[in-house]
Amino acid sequence: MSQKRLSRFLLPGFTGFVIAFLFAPIVVMIVFSFNAPLGHQNITWQGFTLDNYLTIWSRSDITGPMLTSLLIAVLSTLVATAFGTLIALSLTRYEFRGRAALNLLIFIPMTAPEIILGASLLTLWVSFGTPRGLPTILVAHIMFNISYVVVTVRARLSGFNRSLEEAGMDLYADGPTTFWKITFPLIFPGILAAGLLAFALSIDDYVITLFSAGHTVTFPLWVYGASRIGIPPEVNALGSVFFLIAFLFMAVQVWAQRRAGRAGEAGVPIAPVASR
Amino acid sequence: MSDHDERSQIERAVERLMHGEPISRRSFLRRTGRGGLALGAAMTLPAILAACGPGKTKLEWANWPLYIDVDDAGKHPTIEAFTKKTGIAVHYVEAINDNEEFFGTIQPDLAAGNVTEWDVISPTSWMVRRMASQGYLEEIDHSKLPNWTANAADYAKGLWFDPDNKYSVWWQGGITGIGYDPNLTGREITSFDDLLDPAFKGRVGGFSDMRDMMCLSLLSLGIKPADATLDDAKRAQQKLLKAAQAGQFRGFYGNEYYDSLSNGDLVASVAWSGDITQMQLYDNPKVKFVIPSGGAPRWNDNLCIPKKAVWNEQAHKLMDYWYDPVPATTLSEYIGYWTPTKGVPERIKADADAARAAGDTKTADLDDVLSKAVAPTAEQLANVFDYPELADAAEEKAWNDLFLAVTTANG
Amino acid sequence: MRGARRRLTPYLLLLPGTGWLLLFFAVPMAFMLVMSLQEGSLSEGYRLTWNFGIYPKVIGEYGNLILRSVGYALSTTVLTLAIGYPMAYTIAFYGGRLKNALVLVVIMPFFVSFVIRTLNWRMILSDNGLLFGTLKDMGLLDHAFRFLATPASVIFGLTYNFLPFMILPLYVALEKVDRRTIEAATDLYANKVQAFWRVTFPLSLPGVVAGSLLTFIPAVGDFINADIIGARSPDVAMVGNVIQRLFLSVNDFPAAAALGFVLVAGTMLLVGIYTRIVGTDRLTA
Repeated sequence: MSQKRLSRFLLPGFTGFVIAFLFAPIVVMIVFSFNAPLGHQNITWQGFTLDNYLTIWSRSDITGPMLTSLLIAVLSTLVATAFGTLIALSLTRYEFRGRAALNLLIFIPMTAPEIILGASLLTLWVSFGTPRGLPTILVAHIMFNISYVVVTVRARLSGFNRSLEEAGMDLYADGPTTFWKITFPLIFPGILAAGLLAFALSIDDYVITLFSAGHTVTFPLWVYGASRIGIPPEVNALGSVFFLIAFLFMAVQVWAQRRAGRAGEAGVPIAPVASR
Repeated sequence: MSDHDERSQIERAVERLMHGEPISRRSFLRRTGRGGLALGAAMTLPAILAACGPGKTKLEWANWPLYIDVDDAGKHPTIEAFTKKTGIAVHYVEAINDNEEFFGTIQPDLAAGNVTEWDVISPTSWMVRRMASQGYLEEIDHSKLPNWTANAADYAKGLWFDPDNKYSVWWQGGITGIGYDPNLTGREITSFDDLLDPAFKGRVGGFSDMRDMMCLSLLSLGIKPADATLDDAKRAQQKLLKAAQAGQFRGFYGNEYYDSLSNGDLVASVAWSGDITQMQLYDNPKVKFVIPSGGAPRWNDNLCIPKKAVWNEQAHKLMDYWYDPVPATTLSEYIGYWTPTKGVPERIKADADAARAAGDTKTADLDDVLSKAVAPTAEQLANVFDYPELADAAEEKAWNDLFLAVTTANG
Repeated sequence: MRGARRRLTPYLLLLPGTGWLLLFFAVPMAFMLVMSLQEGSLSEGYRLTWNFGIYPKVIGEYGNLILRSVGYALSTTVLTLAIGYPMAYTIAFYGGRLKNALVLVVIMPFFVSFVIRTLNWRMILSDNGLLFGTLKDMGLLDHAFRFLATPASVIFGLTYNFLPFMILPLYVALEKVDRRTIEAATDLYANKVQAFWRVTFPLSLPGVVAGSLLTFIPAVGDFINADIIGARSPDVAMVGNVIQRLFLSVNDFPAAAALGFVLVAGTMLLVGIYTRIVGTDRLTA
């Protein structure tokens, strides 16, 4: 197989196919956002309408939980990414006692079944007398996100080329400057990836949230319940709108990069090779 | 050489974060100690705040999803009417997806004798019994429920799980029977054994609810669930287990059997009466509902007040409100299950006639169908049976264990 | 003084995250561990009887389900790797200016609720639905064919839902690979394939490890795919489903907790073996 064929057709073709695969249920969601079902269930096509896109904004029973989930996702992602990155930094750069125990502490939350995590956290709240609501959900989300952040950022940090930082020091940069101007931009893709993962995990969490929610309703809690009866098409409309926003955001980014030229490309080291 | 230097870079960065002080062991410990204390305080703070805050402003009601009327703005007209009438604001939360799951979220508080977040909750019959027996429900003061006393239908009072309605009043109810598409099955289904016909292997839906399935199996063996012993339960379980191991059941569903039955993935399934009414109206008119010849379990959800709920008075008012025929009719026109309030079918029929006179045939047809479905007929009442009264936690666990084996096909 | 400072820095970096995990994870889990050794019931209360026998008991009863769950998770990891690696490679090496956009495209579907995604897959994959209905009408498939509520469908659901967990770490590791290293290899007369296996792949190994762990570990304990796509068919019951039921329906908290910890221990064992094979030096700098 010639390199040309691989890079021109096979790989991009495969990528396109995978993206289509990833988006398949989303496309269905968008199509059915234009449906006008008479009953509870949105499973048979019963007529085209744009109404769902109009009525969704007044459906506070749907938009309320969505906003709650977004808020929790943003906050927990920020905190968990910060905490997790710090842990990843310390693990990859330092020798210290308790490494093995720490590794265990990082991995076990991912292995433990969510219901055990959720229920045990609830008993903690009850023994502290903490009322359940947004703050407790936030605490829980930060908790389970940290592990995922650590693992993702570590993948980026391993084999990190220290000579780049050395070069910075040689040029009289001090600690914080070296960190923010050299280290951080280079590990940023890892942090960003970790953040995206954490956001996706948080915005979709059901079981752990269930036990820490009290009478706060997050979107997954609402939609899981609604799915058993029938998800209203307005939900599809909301999802489609989010998609549109994300797409526009991405398109703007691409356009901005095109304008800024090569400066937009990330991750190109400008130091000599030898990465071990 | 570079090791030493680069570490000190980051060290210094961290130090700078902590106000440029060189860090001694003592200050390190002080800071962590302070941090721990701060965290502990932060977690008890909400509790303290809640105690000194403006206090409760709304009646907290946990219910199942899509179990109330909803308008285009996502509001609930009946609840708004209640607030207008009584001045009591309601925080309506669709927090219950599963009886046991929901109970799991309030159990630690109830066991510790704390106030839960809720003033009114909506558990199913057997859960009412369980909670009442553990002392987790407030007693109802019937002097505060005039509507209930006047309008509650006989079939909705004095049921097995709460004979004196000491702890609960009926919310909505229905039958768990069998739904099937005669075009796909090729014949009529009349009994539970028909559901287990190997000809339908892999295309039949079971329920993940232990009581519904065990009852159907028991009734097909001629045993009334209320009289069933543990040995009877084992016989019923064996019947289900054999079928499960033979691959008869495509799956054990909760509410989500609906779209699989509607789109034909299932040719027959255990199903709820109200759902099939909906399906016939909107999604698949070919599907039929039948009460199996041996009989079917009847279920109902109830309104209860958890122990130590703060707004006890207001909770009573809410519970009584639903026994006023006006909101009860609006509710039934939306949900379609059995209503406990007298006079509702007649009012729905009147609405149907009014709609037909106004030329709205869609609403008229819908209401015609509903008026017949929202109250049980005498024939239905003769063929439905109550859930078994599982005497204690040990017996309940035994039955659950038996059923768990069925859902995992682990003989 | 300097020595003390140097020794403390890693601990300071660790403090917030580790403190959080200790308080909100380790403490509750310790309670659960104690719970697993208790006996009793919800109504009678629980007494600590150091009932270690519960562990062999749950392993005996549900061992086959544990094996099944591990099998599903392994299949999922292999599939996501097979699909995700070329994907991440293409984005990292051929993405150019569209790199960030493509990564966003990969993860975007996962901001839509899991329930909605999976329900829509169920609609697409139903026996006579969009995909199979069309194939059956065209005569390419037997009418009795069905995909949902089979082990294959659960693995399909798991693969779909864990794909970004594999792609993102892979991308992150691949994107870091210096092209000049590859150039150097080809300058030394390696062909493209050799350059890949000898240079690129080893350098991407931390990403492979990270992605595999992020996929395998949560997949073992998954219960939701078996619920929605698997329709809770007894053929596909996973250990997560049993733990749910034991906890919520049967209310056998000790057994649920014990089974949970068996899951944790088993998964950690496999992870330990895996990292030993791959080499822990790949995991850390």
